[in-house]
Amino acid sequence: MRKNRNNHALAASAFLAPSMVGFLLIAAIPFALSFAISFTSWSGIKGLEIFSSSFWQSNFIGLENYSKILKSKEFWVSLLHVGQYMVLYIPLMLVSSLGIAVLLNKPRKGTAFFRLLFYIPVLTSWVAGAIIWKWVLDPQYGILNDILARVGIAGPAWLQDPKWAMFGIVLASVWKDMGFYGLIFLGGLKNINPIYYEAAHLDGAGRFQSFLKITLPMLTPMVFFVLVISLINSFMLFPQVMIMTEAGPAGATQVIVERIYKYGFSYYKMGYASALSWLLFVIVFLFTFLQQKLQKKWVNYDA
Amino acid sequence: MRNKMRSNKTLSNLWFCVFAGGVGFLIVIPLYWMIITALKTQTAIFTYPIEWFPKEFTLQNFVDLFARFPFGKVLRNSAIVSVSYSVISIVTCSMAAFAFAKIPFRGSEALLKVYLATLMIPFQSTLIPLFMLFNSAGLSNTYGSVIIPSLFRVFGIFLLVQHMRTIPDDYIDAARIDGASYFTILWKVILPLSLPIIAGYAVITFMDAWNDYLWPLVMLTKPEMMTVPVALGMVNGQFERNFGVQMAGSLISIVPVVLIYLAAQSKMKDGLTLGGIKG
Amino acid sequence: MLKKSTVILMVILMVLGLFAGCQAPAAPEASVPVATEEATQAETAAPAAEEPVTIDFMNFSANEGGLLTLGLMKDLFEKENPNIKVNIETFGYDTYATQLQTRVGGGDAPDCFELGLDAFPSYVDQKAILPLDDMMAASGTDLSVLTDKSLQAFSINGTKYGMPYSYSTVVLIYNKDLFDQAGVAYPTADWTWADADAAALKIKALGDDYYGLIQPISTYEFFKVVKQYNGGLLNDDNTAFTVNRPENVQALQRLVDNVLVTNICPSKEQRGSLDEWGVFKLGKTGMIVTGIWAFPSFTTDCAFNWDIAVEPGAATKATHYFANGLAISADSKNAEAAYKWIEFIGTSEQVAQLRVQLGWELPCATYQSAMDQYAKLTPPANRQAVFDSLNYVVPVPQIAQFSQMADILGVELDAAANGSKTPQQALDDAQAALEAAITLK
Repeated sequence: MRKNRNNHALAASAFLAPSMVGFLLIAAIPFALSFAISFTSWSGIKGLEIFSSSFWQSNFIGLENYSKILKSKEFWVSLLHVGQYMVLYIPLMLVSSLGIAVLLNKPRKGTAFFRLLFYIPVLTSWVAGAIIWKWVLDPQYGILNDILARVGIAGPAWLQDPKWAMFGIVLASVWKDMGFYGLIFLGGLKNINPIYYEAAHLDGAGRFQSFLKITLPMLTPMVFFVLVISLINSFMLFPQVMIMTEAGPAGATQVIVERIYKYGFSYYKMGYASALSWLLFVIVFLFTFLQQKLQKKWVNYDA
Repeated sequence: MRNKMRSNKTLSNLWFCVFAGGVGFLIVIPLYWMIITALKTQTAIFTYPIEWFPKEFTLQNFVDLFARFPFGKVLRNSAIVSVSYSVISIVTCSMAAFAFAKIPFRGSEALLKVYLATLMIPFQSTLIPLFMLFNSAGLSNTYGSVIIPSLFRVFGIFLLVQHMRTIPDDYIDAARIDGASYFTILWKVILPLSLPIIAGYAVITFMDAWNDYLWPLVMLTKPEMMTVPVALGMVNGQFERNFGVQMAGSLISIVPVVLIYLAAQSKMKDGLTLGGIKG
Repeated sequence: MLKKSTVILMVILMVLGLFAGCQAPAAPEASVPVATEEATQAETAAPAAEEPVTIDFMNFSANEGGLLTLGLMKDLFEKENPNIKVNIETFGYDTYATQLQTRVGGGDAPDCFELGLDAFPSYVDQKAILPLDDMMAASGTDLSVLTDKSLQAFSINGTKYGMPYSYSTVVLIYNKDLFDQAGVAYPTADWTWADADAAALKIKALGDDYYGLIQPISTYEFFKVVKQYNGGLLNDDNTAFTVNRPENVQALQRLVDNVLVTNICPSKEQRGSLDEWGVFKLGKTGMIVTGIWAFPSFTTDCAFNWDIAVEPGAATKATHYFANGLAISADSKNAEAAYKWIEFIGTSEQVAQLRVQLGWELPCATYQSAMDQYAKLTPPANRQAVFDSLNYVVPVPQIAQFSQMADILGVELDAAANGSKTPQQALDDAQAALEAAITLK
């Protein structure tokens, strides 16, 4: 038995070796450096001398960055903005991507076309996507308010009004991501054994019932995956904000990663930016940990 | 009974058309807007009320773009980088995911969590250390600098783990009894059952590699090494306030990825007939 | 399975072939009448004895219309200095700061690079760039061709850290046709804001979607405007913030009233995704306060007559002075060669003329020949106003944390501009936020 287990470990490490190399190279080492930097006042515009003890000694400031951040209003406000984004984005994205997956699961005429359609926004880079949406949401020349006006609604100045700006960001993000998560759900749906549906049909279950009783439970591993990834990605919200609103108007779309970028690459306080990153890490980790704990209650791996 | 079923079917088709049409419409608007803006003259872009259909079409935006944009070179770079990146990452992710999902070993859960945790640090804060590491290894301005990160793609590992966990262990046990090695099991049993997911992941990862911006921006700085988004970013700087040219650029950067997707879609269809757990 | 991957590969190849086919022809060689006599002489003289050194030069300003010009400068320089090869790296302005910083911070700093006035104090503060005084003296650089203002702009505490390279200023650009239509006299150099606002009201009266004046409400505009009211965002020696002093509130009050009360100036919502230039180009706005770097864009895009005047003032006049300088990395192993290069592109007459001829930004070197040439270009007819503006310039506040300050103040200025805070409130809040976030030395 013991021998058997060793055997497994050996086999596992063979399969894990390539990703481990990558892990060390692009994650472990840079992360360790970033963690060390978070205790310094390093600006980021003077060479980082990792092997020079005088570099670390002269820049070391202990926990000062962390205490400054926790005392600053800005940190909590940016977190609040991320929260606003998440509360709007995650449900909207989940519903629309599930809808897409269910729609496209059944082969009919036009499925292939619609699948491509839903997927085009995903293929678009944020640089292009955000520019497009800036245009779409333009209060005067934009197409969205033009449509709204035709049905008698005076649309807001989406990205120029502090009350609506985050919602505009959410709209663009859902547009961009729903095909992506839809595709993942679709992969999950394809794996559900049709036998279950036949059985349910024989039991007289309706379409909606079998969706609730079979599809959803069977899809839970993928729902879990999407929840974890989209939560992490929401915390990492950045490019759309930079291109669409530049964190404005009146700071209404300032979010954590935007702050990290600004502190690191515009205010030249890389130490402070690194400390911000690690505080963000702690928060995201706690959320994900909670998700993992709750997972056992609702995720079902028995296909 | 029969009648009812038929009406059910037409009803569901109707629903499909209404819903897909509605959502499709929302998706298409921005795309339509992009295409139409790329074909508009500068003055038409700023006309109010907006022109849904331009009175006059122009290719001037494309002419301006192509005059500054070394397309052949840039596309070749992007293709080399994205194809190698996707292929390597599919291999390494399936291997790692298989180990996590189907090989029982001590610390499996913990290691997966560590992997997952690496998604929680924004790239901006590790950019300089990472650059230092790669630059001192002499990787600046090499394809390798942007391909090597494909060794470690947590998103793909996690996605495939979630999928492989749903494959019943009976398949593996049966194969092991037949004396198959883990490698054979991965190749002959797990991968065929994972084709739809892998095909989806292939498209996603190709697109991510294609659209990646910040990392190639600092690693590939020689004009002859630049990828599409990096070169496009520079051109956008030269046409800062010219939305027509910017839209033309965005449009052209999407086309190759859409073609790749179309190629992969036929693959996904095959995957569906081959794979999937059918009874 | 193999078959499918072949299909994918073929598609990729097809795409590549397709695009390679329509690849644009290389930019035509510029036929510029460059004075190359000296250069050819230099080439024949003194065969190189030493190993040639290569220096890396990173810059952004060449990306916007100067790629060719900079290449010509490099050719001239390398002919004169056969021992030095210059490796030019040009990046887009939006990403330049990040790319430069990654290189510098990652221990791979280019030997010399371009810096804007806003980032410059930070690089000095971190001792990331070399003081230039000794090299200037040793090389016998003729500093008299550079104005005192440009030299001062790149000096901190009397030490020069940057070679002035190019500069620009901000003027009042006006739509002549609209002034004629409204029957208002054109702006002159002695206008005050009261004159400008009165004219703007008349132009706005021309129609519903007309505006009189576009003046941004941002930190970059505001630090200059407060000077026109004898105010200031910082005290005289840059050791304390004075953002909420009465003169500043008065200045902001006018800017905000122009948007919210008279609406002669479009609000952010009214502008939408159009920037200030975009609105002006529509031809329904009387005036815009903006940089001279708008000239090429306005020349091609404006379907109406326009001209410029020195920016109006209030109690006094004040105008912008933005400049880009050249700095040498503290880590450079070829500092002397790098200095030769920045001296050349900063002070050579050939280079100055080349810049003007090819319509690049104004050189800091004030050769009469180049300035005359510049003044002759039209539009605008009144190009002289560019040089007249230089009599009133106020520099960007020289503090290392300027970009953070600009963001913090910007948030509050936004709030004032959309009416959610009064100017007094907004500036009080900005003062408090700045004091909490930034410790000035």
